[in-house]
Amino acid sequence: MSQKPRNSRILQAAEAKKSAAGPKPSRTTGLGRVIIAVYGILALAATVRAVYQIVSKFDEAPEAYVLSLISGLIYFVATFSLSSAKPHAWLVSLWAVSIELAGVLVVGTLSLTHPEIFAHPSVWSGFGEGYGYIPLVLPIVGLWWLYRNRSERHS
Amino acid sequence: MIVMNGFFIAGAIVCAVALLVAVIATAIRRHPDDWALVGAIATEVFLIVYGIAAAIRQAGGKAVAGDPIEFWGYFITALIMPPIAFFWAVSEKSRWSNAVLAASSLVTFVMLFRMEQIWQ
Repeated sequence: MSQKPRNSRILQAAEAKKSAAGPKPSRTTGLGRVIIAVYGILALAATVRAVYQIVSKFDEAPEAYVLSLISGLIYFVATFSLSSAKPHAWLVSLWAVSIELAGVLVVGTLSLTHPEIFAHPSVWSGFGEGYGYIPLVLPIVGLWWLYRNRSERHS
Repeated sequence: MIVMNGFFIAGAIVCAVALLVAVIATAIRRHPDDWALVGAIATEVFLIVYGIAAAIRQAGGKAVAGDPIEFWGYFITALIMPPIAFFWAVSEKSRWSNAVLAASSLVTFVMLFRMEQIWQ
């Protein structure tokens, strides 16, 4: 089990600073592993599917498929930044996760109000219904997790 | 068709048992449970057998109903997940390693379901 002192932010910050040199930050352990794993699965699924769609039927809906590819790549960015111990990884994660949340909300809403634009499925249409609404839930969980590990922001 | 349905039922059972064991292990263990790890190995072995069977059938001239590229895309994606979950679970001793294994089994089942849809 982790030795993280739960109630001292100073000690946590000190530990986070130390860990920037080598050991992994606490956001990559415990429950963080599950979150990163789900991000990785989603990144893989969305990217592979988008590549397949672009290769096999790009002409049918170029916007939707390019959007799917971009969202897949953002999931990859989030996967790696969440698991990275590098100095700016926390901030990169915040950006990636926030873009995902904005994307799923905007595209999800648009796919309901303007279904003709999103006749072809993308990861975010219907608030991610094609992926069990994981694209909607995951960024919220991710933001909460980043907030819980906010001491790593400046590590 | 019947053979693949048999495969699907077998795969669903393997994934379901692996998922159940991993969920229970998440609840009661504070380290990666041996049986949860065996579950990941079992799903991987099943996928390999499924892939070989699918390759033999397609080589024998029985094409899938959907797009074969899509089918094999799903297959390869499914195939690389259990090993990643396995080695990742082994590399950290916490209850959440079991949850990662559970997620892997669940996704394997979804992939299998999609492959079966493409097949028929």
